[in-house]
Amino acid sequence: MLHLRDKQISLIILVCFGFFLFFYGTDGFTAFTAEKARTNKLLEEKPRLPEVTLEDSMGRKYGFEAFSDKYIFMTFFYTGCTTVCPQLERNVAKVYEQIPENHLGEDIVFLSVSFDPKKDVPEVLKRYGSHFGSDEETWRLARVPKEGELKQLLDEFGVIAIPIGDGDFQHNVAFYLVDRKGFLIDVMDYNDIGGAVERVMEVLDRTKEG
Amino acid sequence: MKRFIYGLLLFAFLAMPPIVSFLESHMLLHMHVQMPLLAFAGMLWTPFLQAKFPRFFSRWNEDGVPGIVLVSLVVTYWILPRAMDEAIQFSSVEVFKFISWPFFVGVAMKDSWKKLKGRQRLFSTLYFSFIYGVMGFVYIFAEEQLCNNYLIVEQRLLGWSFLAISLGAAFYRLHNEALKKRDAAAGRKTKFGS
Repeated sequence: MLHLRDKQISLIILVCFGFFLFFYGTDGFTAFTAEKARTNKLLEEKPRLPEVTLEDSMGRKYGFEAFSDKYIFMTFFYTGCTTVCPQLERNVAKVYEQIPENHLGEDIVFLSVSFDPKKDVPEVLKRYGSHFGSDEETWRLARVPKEGELKQLLDEFGVIAIPIGDGDFQHNVAFYLVDRKGFLIDVMDYNDIGGAVERVMEVLDRTKEG
Repeated sequence: MKRFIYGLLLFAFLAMPPIVSFLESHMLLHMHVQMPLLAFAGMLWTPFLQAKFPRFFSRWNEDGVPGIVLVSLVVTYWILPRAMDEAIQFSSVEVFKFISWPFFVGVAMKDSWKKLKGRQRLFSTLYFSFIYGVMGFVYIFAEEQLCNNYLIVEQRLLGWSFLAISLGAAFYRLHNEALKKRDAAAGRKTKFGS
């Protein structure tokens, strides 16, 4: 009956192999898509904002150090987008409106970064921002003019934007929360406005106490 | 030997960088052309490997069950949306794809299928139909982008193709089983042996 036992051994080996394949392939059964894996990894790694030069809707140029000691509520978009970006920025506006004014610009800055620097020049950003109620100070819209720097920022934060022709992009969408030292601390569902407000208030309150 | 060489040529062709990037540029080609062709290359190698290592196959895959279990595991892994993304992103996963499809799917399938009993074949086909069907629905109806490297349009297309293959395979197998039963009842030997 040696043959029977060999057959069983190979089955046992295979079951173990299968378990490890799925275990490692899905980070311990937690991430079945690369996007989920990306978010999990981001939260684990807490990447830091790279050094880039932003150009905002007023044409001012500065780096992220302009927001040092402030939390940043970030999103990535492009103005040519007709589908999800307007929805995203409308939702940013809803979060923005619910944050008490004394915090705005003091403890937290809202920043929407365009990944289409060719089209989204300051005038375009200005017009776009005004639709959503950006005051260009506590909620700024900006582009990263240098391609290399933009790519670095997107890579660091795991933002994927695939050009699909006609000036459109397919891209992933989320709210990003960066702490006062420039580290990413949360990636949030852009449709969960209540959850985002709660999370932001939680970190702001903690700051006040500490 | 001839078949073995054809298999090598096919494998070498599929491993050429321009062919790799072309077949991976579309989700459908990646899942339903590149991966099955890699398995096919493995099938072409099988007679040679069986002749070279007869004891290995008869010993460890005596009745074909371990082989088909291996095929099921590996195929199930590869239909996860993440696997396809990672094959593009990480070269280690890409290498695993080029090993697992020819050997763990192609060779294992070819060596197992003839050894399996009719009922086991039916069960295996229904399992593949089932997971392909599930993935079909997932890819068709998912609102969000499941693979970061592919567009939602392609995702839908892949979903429909999964569904088509799922239904096709299930009907084919059931039809074959029905024919076999009918022929057995008529006392004839069926030519639909496999």
